[in-house]
Amino acid sequence: MLRKAIPLVIVAIVSLVAVSRLSAQSTWPTADSYVNADKDNANWILPARSYTGNRYLTSTEITSANVGTLKKAWATNIDARGPLETSPIVWNGTVYVTSSHNDVYALDAQTGAVKWHRTYKPHVIAFSANRGVALGDGKVYEATLDGHLIALDAGTGKTVWNIVAAHDTTNTFFTMQPVPYKNMLLLGASNGDWGGIGYLSAFDAATGKRIWDWKTVPGIGEPGHNSWAGDSWKRGGAAIWSGVAIDPASNTLYVDAGNPQPDFLGTIRKGANLYSNSMVALDISGATPTVKWYHQFIPHDTHDWDPAMPPVLFSGTVGGAQRNLVAAGDKGGNFWVLDAGTGALVYHVAVSTQKGQNTEPNRKGDVACPNTNGGVEFNGGSYMPDTNAFFVPSVDQCGLWTSPGTATYVSGQFFLGGAFPKLVGPSTGYMSAIDIGSGKFLWRKHLAFPQIGGALSLSSGIVFTGGVNGDFTAYDAKTGNVLWHHPTNQTIQAPPGSYSAGGKQYVIVASGPAGINFADPRFGQGAPTLEGTYTHSTKATITAFTLP
Amino acid sequence: MRTIALRLLAVFALVCGAPASAAPDDHAGALAALADVRAAVTEIVRIEDGYAVGHGPYLRAAHRAMNALVGRRDDGYAASFGDPGDGAGTLGHLDTMLDKEGSSLWTPAIEGAKANVLAAADNLQSAFGEKEMEDYQADLTRALANLALVVGRPSQDGVLGGISGALGNTTLGVPAGIPSVSGCALPARTPAYGIVAQRLVYVALPRRSAATTIPDELSVARVVVQGDDLILYTRASDSAMAVCRRTAHLQRTRAVAPAKAVPWYTAAQAHDGIAVYRKSCLQCHGADLQGTAGPAVAGTEFLTTAKTNKWTLSDLRTTVFQNMPFSNPGSLTPKQYADVTAFLLASNCYAAGTKPFPQSDSPAFAAIKLGPIPAANPSNPKLRTCTVK
Repeated sequence: MLRKAIPLVIVAIVSLVAVSRLSAQSTWPTADSYVNADKDNANWILPARSYTGNRYLTSTEITSANVGTLKKAWATNIDARGPLETSPIVWNGTVYVTSSHNDVYALDAQTGAVKWHRTYKPHVIAFSANRGVALGDGKVYEATLDGHLIALDAGTGKTVWNIVAAHDTTNTFFTMQPVPYKNMLLLGASNGDWGGIGYLSAFDAATGKRIWDWKTVPGIGEPGHNSWAGDSWKRGGAAIWSGVAIDPASNTLYVDAGNPQPDFLGTIRKGANLYSNSMVALDISGATPTVKWYHQFIPHDTHDWDPAMPPVLFSGTVGGAQRNLVAAGDKGGNFWVLDAGTGALVYHVAVSTQKGQNTEPNRKGDVACPNTNGGVEFNGGSYMPDTNAFFVPSVDQCGLWTSPGTATYVSGQFFLGGAFPKLVGPSTGYMSAIDIGSGKFLWRKHLAFPQIGGALSLSSGIVFTGGVNGDFTAYDAKTGNVLWHHPTNQTIQAPPGSYSAGGKQYVIVASGPAGINFADPRFGQGAPTLEGTYTHSTKATITAFTLP
Repeated sequence: MRTIALRLLAVFALVCGAPASAAPDDHAGALAALADVRAAVTEIVRIEDGYAVGHGPYLRAAHRAMNALVGRRDDGYAASFGDPGDGAGTLGHLDTMLDKEGSSLWTPAIEGAKANVLAAADNLQSAFGEKEMEDYQADLTRALANLALVVGRPSQDGVLGGISGALGNTTLGVPAGIPSVSGCALPARTPAYGIVAQRLVYVALPRRSAATTIPDELSVARVVVQGDDLILYTRASDSAMAVCRRTAHLQRTRAVAPAKAVPWYTAAQAHDGIAVYRKSCLQCHGADLQGTAGPAVAGTEFLTTAKTNKWTLSDLRTTVFQNMPFSNPGSLTPKQYADVTAFLLASNCYAAGTKPFPQSDSPAFAAIKLGPIPAANPSNPKLRTCTVK
């Protein structure tokens, strides 16, 4: 259009410029883009913004002074067959999100208009959830509930390739957002409560060909194998649910392996059960990963208290010294800080109520806290270097745990050795700011509802998070005061993100039905929120906010 | 006493399992087991018919018979006496046949045979210790009686038929590599083995070679000459033909038998289950039972998964009663659990009966496999679910 209006003589020059600009816009993130993702405020190309796993932005348009005027820019309803956990991927004006049942959407970043929508009807093993897509070289990658890894054309949504990536589709599915790294897509298998063994796989991003698998449970003859009694390792669990952090300089990947199985029956798997409930640092420079170090948070767990929070790599000040650290959080209510080089524990902080943690579930039943969906959940926290503080949302619940003392493997069913606990007492949440220097709370908010939305911090002094009652809130990073909030009237189980389009900064979050884990009887009765009351919604929505 | 107990066990072992044709090596296994029994019988009969001085030869015969029966892996095997059998022993062969998932029409007969082998071994063991010739002979006579039941007879196709009965009347009689055809019709080419519901109906052989190829253990009830072929109908053919006629009749009348008419629950229970489902299950499993946040629990999607995962009614029951509702397992009353299970069975088009779904577990449920029901008449043909009223 532009070219037609311009005299032919200068078309050549203008078109040269136009072409170079166009090509800059139409190309896809390169290996460098991913490594430098934390410096690019226009786009959001990795699940937690950068390989560090830290949802943190500097030099933003939104500040603590103007955040109070933040307004809804657009809201787009998507497939509502289950709760939304998607972390939006944004590139050059397009937002890519997923629904719980693996529908993929490309939305216009400024208007929310649907550019394309790819529907999917997966077989659901236990519950529906998806944490979003990966983007690379003109393709959008999605790992599905029926164990597939699918590459779509990023421009049209048409399938480029589709492989069965799970080794056993009767007990394995995918919820994790694939992570592009060099020529690979990294993907963990969700099979930790259905009798499988967890594994992290690397696939060739161009073809979908499997490059390697790293199993979270050591096989016969491997170090750590003796931490499992008898044959218990064979259905040992330790699934990989959440994100990973990567230090590209040293090719070190930080990953958390989930709880051991059967979840609630420890007597038939005596031992520490490695690498369940552990953070493992893997050297991924070679043909197959090798373990650099591991740190087991809860050895021989019998309460499904896996380290759900994706690792966050950061450089923080502890006791006056700058240190390379890696943070973790588990469903047992612990926030952990480790030395990133050695895995040595720096300290841990209890962020949820803890009680009865050393009693294994039995026939009689015992109360333990947190409940199975308690503690720090799968969206994790955010570190703000400006204040040397870590922001961690958490769930505060207790449960009654029982185990009949036996566990039977039934293909495609939970392999628990008991039942999921019954909620005992109130179901609430915390938003905590932890001073990394001292390991003490900077501030702490006790909230009426579980907080699992994950945190996004801006160097301008704001922390965003969402609660399962639908409140999307901006806190003052220094004081914890509420600077702004918006009632989505849907549960928020997805992490916030940020991008820029048309010269404006947007904050984006997904909200939807409560789903299995965070259904709450209060929803039907008009539950209290910052804005009024909550009524259960059957819609699922992507909402973007911007300054007026 | 032990003999009786074992025989009772064999009778109780009459379980009705999923149709499974004999694995190729089961036929060979059965023939080898039979050969070992016959070797044992020959040892006993030979010493009884002959004349010997002193304990030695008698003891030797009993030990050799024992070796042929139990095989060299058993504690009762005494290598020094030699083995007239093949080393695996009747017991070894039978155990291999039984040590598989699922059961077949021939399983009860083979289980019965195994019980009788154990009884014979018990009697032989007793003979080893006897001081008087009279007692020794009594033991061996009892052992021979046991072994006669192990061999059985081709005219009997149940547990009393022994190994011969199973070979002569069931899929066990089909040698490896020979194609079996539907026994309801005559074969297109010979030789062929006609099978109906795991019963061996006929063996069809070319007349020219029939004289040399008729299987040893066949229970021929009727012979029909059909062109150039001989059709040798077995004892089992009468009951099998009745099955053929019934199937043909069903196909003609397009009977709409709603699912497998196994009455696991009552319609009243299923009705009461509607309210339970709405309150405690609907949010995750959906109004159409196809799942929202949770998986599908009825229709093709659910039943196909059930089949793939080999779920039994017991698995379904355990999942519902122990693990659900997901957010508060075990929180419903036993009646509510039974009602909602009845609702799920009804929604899957399983037929209602007069016996209520029990509030406590039933061992029989572990043998009932779930899966798509071809004869169902779903109210929603697309999802293949049935509306509960």
